[in-house]
Amino acid sequence: MEKNFIIAGFGGQGVLLAGTVLANAFMLDDKNVTWYPCYGAEMRGGTVNCEIVVSDTEVSSVHKQDTDYALVLNQQSFDRFVERVKAGGTIVANSTLVAEAKPRNDINYVFAPMTKLANDLGTSKVTNIVSLGVLTSVCEIISKDAMKKGIDKVIGAKKKDLLPLNYKAYESGLNALSLV
Amino acid sequence: MENEKVLIKGNYAIAQAAVNAGCQCYFGYPITPQTEIGEYLSGKMQELGRGYVCAESELAAINMVMGAVSTGVKAMTSSSSCAVALMQEALSYAASDELPVVLVNVMRTGPGLGYIYPAQGDYNQSVYGGGNGDYKIIVLAPSTVQECIDYMYKAFYLAHKYRNPAILLADGLLGQMMEPATFGKYPYPEIDHSSWALSGAKGREARAIYSCAREEKKQIQHINNLFKKFEVIAKNETEWEEFMTEDADIILTAFGSMTRNIKAAMKVLRQKGIKVGCFRPITLSPFPYDRISELAKDGKDFIVVEMNMGQMFKDVKYAVNGKSQTSLVNRACGEWLSVEEIVSSVEKIMEKSYAASI
Repeated sequence: MEKNFIIAGFGGQGVLLAGTVLANAFMLDDKNVTWYPCYGAEMRGGTVNCEIVVSDTEVSSVHKQDTDYALVLNQQSFDRFVERVKAGGTIVANSTLVAEAKPRNDINYVFAPMTKLANDLGTSKVTNIVSLGVLTSVCEIISKDAMKKGIDKVIGAKKKDLLPLNYKAYESGLNALSLV
Repeated sequence: MENEKVLIKGNYAIAQAAVNAGCQCYFGYPITPQTEIGEYLSGKMQELGRGYVCAESELAAINMVMGAVSTGVKAMTSSSSCAVALMQEALSYAASDELPVVLVNVMRTGPGLGYIYPAQGDYNQSVYGGGNGDYKIIVLAPSTVQECIDYMYKAFYLAHKYRNPAILLADGLLGQMMEPATFGKYPYPEIDHSSWALSGAKGREARAIYSCAREEKKQIQHINNLFKKFEVIAKNETEWEEFMTEDADIILTAFGSMTRNIKAAMKVLRQKGIKVGCFRPITLSPFPYDRISELAKDGKDFIVVEMNMGQMFKDVKYAVNGKSQTSLVNRACGEWLSVEEIVSSVEKIMEKSYAASI
């Protein structure tokens, strides 16, 4: 079984970091994983994205044309990647910045106000970690425990004092859909 | 740390592997998509009291490497495609001078300046070289971040064991991706260079390293010796990987990170009942001609999949030598050929050859 994820947003929303946390979580869960960023001109001003491929066996190609899951934090990313979700796949969108439209009938839509939830915790900077919580709640192959370890590993390495806030952000994302 | 699994970017993995291999000096000039190698080493080498120079150009960088390795230490440079082109003269000199120069090329798109997205267009530049005269370089092509580490170690070892330049040929995909990997220890023995290195002539006769032979006979002898040495390298060090080739009718062949895609395509095609295997040269130079030739004699057809206009294709065709069919599935650069594209291309090729056979 191989699944891939695209995480996309504005430069500065922390999508590469979110992808790094997710990739670490898969590694800590003893899965094979590859993380691949966009690099180059598209980073200047436009959207930033990274792709994470997880597999029980060897990871085959990255840089795939379509994706099982798209996690999008802004409207531009929604517009760009909604077309690239596989039929039957899921797009998870930040409804604070993305209009709740459903342009296709053959995919699943998950909307949660990620930036608002982050602001409720005091800073929009944790939008990316909130988004990982929302993604976890709709994706059964992501383990909550491994995600927490992933947050520890990535954020704890440099900014230990920010760990409690990030745990809260993750929990807030996990519970976001049950609030609706 | 040594055996801990870490999620690491290909470029950082290459840089840390060079440190573990005992690389004493790094000389380089930044270029996407390999700049992280120099970035990482700029801090690390200083921390360890080793040498780091951000050179004024690629030309200077590779000549600095030649100078450093002449003293018998391990040294390297890294760059990408259009800037590796600038280093070709030095590689010809280093091969002739029998210097253990180590070069990492994280390929981007060419020709000319090209662009920063990944490609595999430097197969010819690496394997056949852009320098003058008859010379050969050892070329290793990793396909995962773990292999970036393993073959960085091996590049240092082989360069020093045979006193021959070695290239680690990665691509933008490998340089930029993160994967879990472990470093372990540098697994190879250290090579004693005291018999030839320019380490200071105090107490012994002066030595010189130069690639100018005014006597024709001596130059002929010198070139013959270089090629005899490379025959030994080919005999001892040619490395490849095979998957399910025993019962295969068709063998998909790729190098570097494209290996991943042909393996996945093989699985899909096997599920459809088509007997497909995979063959992947790890040393592009020396190239595994003999093994491909053996497989072709068994009647197995080859389909070469690469991100260039068919560079390795020629070597496979040369090895197959008309014993079976050889086809090419390729794209010039950019987005790697997907598993689905490879599968449908293979099916089209099969239809065509079936039509031709009736």
